[in-house]
Amino acid sequence: MAEPILEVSGLVKYYPLMRGILFKKQVGAVKAVDGVDFTLAKGETLGIVGESGCGKSTVAKLLCSLERPTAGSIRFKGEDITRLSGRALRAVRRNIQMVFQDPYTSLNPRMTVGDIIGEPYEIHPEAAPKGDRRRRVRELLDVVGLNPEYINRYPHQFSGGQRQRIGIARGLALRPEVIVADEPVSALDVSVQAQVINLLDRLQSEFDLSYVFIAHDLSIVRHISDRVGVMYLGRIVEIGRDAEIYDHPTHPYTQALLSAVPVPDPEAREHRERIILTGDVPSPTNIPSGCRFRTRCWKAQERCTREVPALAVPEEFRRTTGPAAHDSACHFAAEKQVVPPEAPGGHGNGPG
Amino acid sequence: MLLEVRDLQVEFRTRDGVAKAVNGVSYGVDAGETLAVLGESGSGKSVTAQAVMGILDMPPGRITGGEILFRGKDVLKLKEEERRRIRGAGMAMIFQDALSALNPVLSVGDQLGEMFVVHRGMSKKAARAKAIELMERVRIPGAAQRVGDYPHQFSGGMRQRIMIAMALALEPALIIADEPTTALDVTVQAQVMDLLADLQREYHMGLILITHDLGVVADVADRIAVMYAGKIVESAPVRDIYKAPAHPYTRGLLDSIPRLDQKGQELYAIKGLPPNLMNIPPGCAFHPRCPMAQDVCRTDVPPLYEVSEDRGSACHFWRECLHG
Repeated sequence: MAEPILEVSGLVKYYPLMRGILFKKQVGAVKAVDGVDFTLAKGETLGIVGESGCGKSTVAKLLCSLERPTAGSIRFKGEDITRLSGRALRAVRRNIQMVFQDPYTSLNPRMTVGDIIGEPYEIHPEAAPKGDRRRRVRELLDVVGLNPEYINRYPHQFSGGQRQRIGIARGLALRPEVIVADEPVSALDVSVQAQVINLLDRLQSEFDLSYVFIAHDLSIVRHISDRVGVMYLGRIVEIGRDAEIYDHPTHPYTQALLSAVPVPDPEAREHRERIILTGDVPSPTNIPSGCRFRTRCWKAQERCTREVPALAVPEEFRRTTGPAAHDSACHFAAEKQVVPPEAPGGHGNGPG
Repeated sequence: MLLEVRDLQVEFRTRDGVAKAVNGVSYGVDAGETLAVLGESGSGKSVTAQAVMGILDMPPGRITGGEILFRGKDVLKLKEEERRRIRGAGMAMIFQDALSALNPVLSVGDQLGEMFVVHRGMSKKAARAKAIELMERVRIPGAAQRVGDYPHQFSGGMRQRIMIAMALALEPALIIADEPTTALDVTVQAQVMDLLADLQREYHMGLILITHDLGVVADVADRIAVMYAGKIVESAPVRDIYKAPAHPYTRGLLDSIPRLDQKGQELYAIKGLPPNLMNIPPGCAFHPRCPMAQDVCRTDVPPLYEVSEDRGSACHFWRECLHG
């Protein structure tokens, strides 16, 4: 693996729950992120998938230093950025930029596109001399496939897909090395999603970017990611290369998640096994003991209530080198193919 | 046929001009059948459904033409009073966002029971018992204990079940579900779609499923109607359309979604943007974005050509698309 650009270890974020007006007392905590470890290699895309409330967006905020972790460390090129402040923090933030989910609320409606994309230069004046900024903004518009003449327009004059391009241009303004994209296409129409994903792909090779790509859509994550981590209730339960996770999942939650994704192929609907989980995700204020997935798991046994499974290569796969030998936090990890193998004779790539 | 929409046209009068949201849509659903209406935002799929249900905001909306036949009777000619009797008992709707569709200050039991009080003249007590029965039918655990709870006390998946229960209350012959699982997580989405399919079989209802998700359609639909700029551009049995689309827009949509079981290279992207409904391109509305467009597409509106007995495509070059 190439040298790591981000190393996250033991990352924890608790939000305290307070009660009382005059004498505030902490009565509990929302355990949004509860011990997350991963590394991101240079030029790599790490996808993080999970359902709402699993803590994936909190991880994004922690990576961008928009929140301070309760515990744990985030190393950017070897330096722990969670303890930084002032000038040093600003310098790091320049290098890790974020693209937000909702292009309708993440752009200030009263600012022109030029001002929105150029705003990072106001905060980091050393990144570009004043006289040069308009030119750079025009360049950025061009890079993301928008007409540079639109520099004086307002966000409402653009469609959703175009707005997301503006958000991406803003993310690129400071020439960061890492981009954290939190659900960057989930608010867009299908035909426009593909345009934005292709753009992100192209920019990655053009600017040598490393991506952390957070999404709930498993198909999109597979398409764009080199490695994928699956989160459940504040922890990564399984992580590995994309084929390891999608074709050889060993954690029951990953298997259930994959089997629940509708596949756009009516032929597949008969010979596909569906694992339908019962119940809802438990509250992050009251996380089950032992394995946090056990309350919805069909494999759960007594051991799962006592012992927290570690995120490591499961014992039975440790001596093998096959695709099942990847990190999975389950006491009873077992391979199970839930995504049908690629159907032969699928239609081609694009019309005519 | 249970429901038949014929050449429906709807427009919205706005300050900036007239937006033609629905431009001659025809489709039909039989009892026990699932029709998926697929389209992107602004394609007119929800507006058509609102017109069928009779819940279109008028003004600014206006139905300018067409018929909506429910059990052979044109509901557009009915008085509001008669229309109301059909709504709920004849056809019912499930909305995307259960939290905003449910009343936040009434308990779910009251909201479910209201249907029986208003339409069936039941006593409050009997209606409450009915509400519990419905909640059990949509598999809400502990229905009797939770009947007095308010919508915010339920999770997203449970709220969507309550919406389904409400739609089922009067045992309608037709259910229209407008993006019923879009706001839900995948594992919960699977639960809710399963429930909906089970109930449909049990009651032998017609189901119109409005969605933008080709995966959901492949899983549950019998037939599919693809909409673009207020028109149906392709209509076919679900198997045929995935195997070989007969319209370049359908083909573009299928090619532009990443697939779980395939790791593709670059995704095919339909160029450009959906049209502005106040200024729909002449000829075929899709021609500015179509890789197959010829001169005739810029001038002549394509009719819905018959591809086969139960299949239609509104493309001058459907043959080339089908075999290309």
